[in-house]
Amino acid sequence: MSKRTSVVSGTMLAGAVALAVSSALAPLPASAGSKEKCFGIALAGKNGCGVGGGTTCAGTSTVDYQGNAWKVVPKGECVKYGVEEDNPEFELPGDRVGSLTALDRDLPES
Amino acid sequence: MPSLAELQDGFAAAVRRPEPDPPRGITGRGDAGAGRRFGVYRNNHLAGLAGALEMTFPVVRKLVGEEFFRAAAMDYVRRHPPRSPVLLLYGERFGDLLDELPAAGRYPYLGDVARLEWSRIFALNARDTAPAEIRLLSGIPEPELPGTRLILHPSVRTLASRWPVLAVWQDCQPGGGRAKIDMERPERLLVVRPDTEVVTHRLDGGSYAFIRSLARGAALGEAAEHAMAEEPGLDLSAQLVLLFNYGTVAGIAPAAVNKIPPDQKGTPS
Amino acid sequence: MTTGLPPNAGVCLKAEHYEQALAPERVPAWFEVHAENYMGDGGPAHLWLDRARARVPLSIHGVGLSIGSAAGPDPDHLERLCRVVRRFEPAAVSEHLAWSTHEGLFFNDLLPLPYDDETLGRVADHVDLVQNRLGRQILLENPSSYLRFDRDEYPEVEFLAEISRRSGCGLLLDVNNVHVSATNLGDSAEAYLDAFPLDRVGEIHLAGHAVETDTDGRPLLIDTHDREVCDAVWKLYEHTVLRTGPVPTLIEWDARIPEWSVLVRQAELADRCMDEAGTRPPHAVTG
Repeated sequence: MSKRTSVVSGTMLAGAVALAVSSALAPLPASAGSKEKCFGIALAGKNGCGVGGGTTCAGTSTVDYQGNAWKVVPKGECVKYGVEEDNPEFELPGDRVGSLTALDRDLPES
Repeated sequence: MPSLAELQDGFAAAVRRPEPDPPRGITGRGDAGAGRRFGVYRNNHLAGLAGALEMTFPVVRKLVGEEFFRAAAMDYVRRHPPRSPVLLLYGERFGDLLDELPAAGRYPYLGDVARLEWSRIFALNARDTAPAEIRLLSGIPEPELPGTRLILHPSVRTLASRWPVLAVWQDCQPGGGRAKIDMERPERLLVVRPDTEVVTHRLDGGSYAFIRSLARGAALGEAAEHAMAEEPGLDLSAQLVLLFNYGTVAGIAPAAVNKIPPDQKGTPS
Repeated sequence: MTTGLPPNAGVCLKAEHYEQALAPERVPAWFEVHAENYMGDGGPAHLWLDRARARVPLSIHGVGLSIGSAAGPDPDHLERLCRVVRRFEPAAVSEHLAWSTHEGLFFNDLLPLPYDDETLGRVADHVDLVQNRLGRQILLENPSSYLRFDRDEYPEVEFLAEISRRSGCGLLLDVNNVHVSATNLGDSAEAYLDAFPLDRVGEIHLAGHAVETDTDGRPLLIDTHDREVCDAVWKLYEHTVLRTGPVPTLIEWDARIPEWSVLVRQAELADRCMDEAGTRPPHAVTG
């Protein structure tokens, strides 16, 4: 892919770089959209910035093994986003099968 | 008498078996059932790992409720037991399992919410490195710019969803729950941790194509083309500002040898 | 035996408590963390631990090395432990008399070992291997037991003493585990402690456990680390420190993490027990 002739020339890029460098301290373009900040690990569990699965050397009190996610119906907040009470016919857009753009897993390691 | 290795083969297999079936050669207290005692280890294994998933996916848990989450998590543990004692990143494919469950018919965004949560944990635990500044590009001679490859920050993840998963994620944070979310709005997201805080940005089509191209190893020129194909009239300098301001870039990849024209070899610069 | 940990109560350092635990006015004498939680490539947790160890000594407690695996500890994981120890330079490093990985799968539980000659030889060899790789002595912890093997040849205390003798490792005495195991197996916790080679103890653990019911209607204790230390365990602890004098003592709490002040109060109770048990230098907090 590196062999093909680029329609984006060095001159174009150099111009964009020069403009970008000079405006790097300017506010972000509107197209940048919004961002969600997470205030560090200190508030783990309080603002969704978990640490990831933790290890433990402790045991767990006995739980019920019988739960089956193929039979149990979700009873959390998802109901709110998935269906509308006044419109039971509400459906999510698009064809369910194969419609997900999976998370990119092909990012280079570093 | 079986060797220790054989004993552990049998014990490990019994811990993972779906039906309680303790190995031979163990006792509890007196005649009290060994099965109940062995069940403690089975439970610790299954429930302990489900608990680890609960730490990584608090929003999914909130969305589906405890009962469903634990059932799905235990199912995940049975199908994808961890291969490492480091559980920080355990659950990478939890979103895939959610996609397969019948619940996904009604709540198809659950898998992508899980992918967003895992991406944030990935970014949180990624290697620490200072993001590069955009001035880094100023020193590159014009003819070399299109072939320049950027090294993205080790924390970078991207996610494109048909659903507004960041909006849902935000609404599930403490203090949230009041937003009216238009579920017909797709989102393209960038997750990155330039310093100590994980940040999720919404991207437009051009920015997403640009960063995805760079992540796949495309040089600047080619990535810019992809972005412009996605969004004609794209402001290239704005893209560069965004890229660097978000802390997405960690450095410039060393130029490949075949990129250097023969007449410049050995020329001091 | 002694480690670089002070003979005071220490507290497990959890992500939920980073800020409060390191507030200037009340830093515990030392902190313990799980090695595996600091084996990521980077992130704020590492920075917090840097801050913690700049203030007080650290204990690195491994929960996944699987020293009791017949195949021995995974070399990759031992290497990861080595990196954590090199980076954070803890005053003590400890692991468990247990196995948790088999055929490449991690079970996330401390699985039990039969106490016979084969296991003894292997565990002593594995401890030796780990100590050689780390270039330092480790402490090995007595497990919570829910069952025993018909093939057991040694009482646990004798087994641990012999591993310590052969490998030169120290021991981490978990008093809650002693109580849990003794109750579950119908043994005497006092007799266990009286037989324990206390001169090999470099650290003590205290934790809470859950009480369930066994099939015979009697209590079955689960080592859950999710509540306060119970009275019976405090009594055993008092009994122990009267004989040992002050020993670095950790309040372990791994699930249903409470307010920071709850952990501090538990640590104060342990310190009070030690005050009554003997003299020790006052602990200095820097920073």
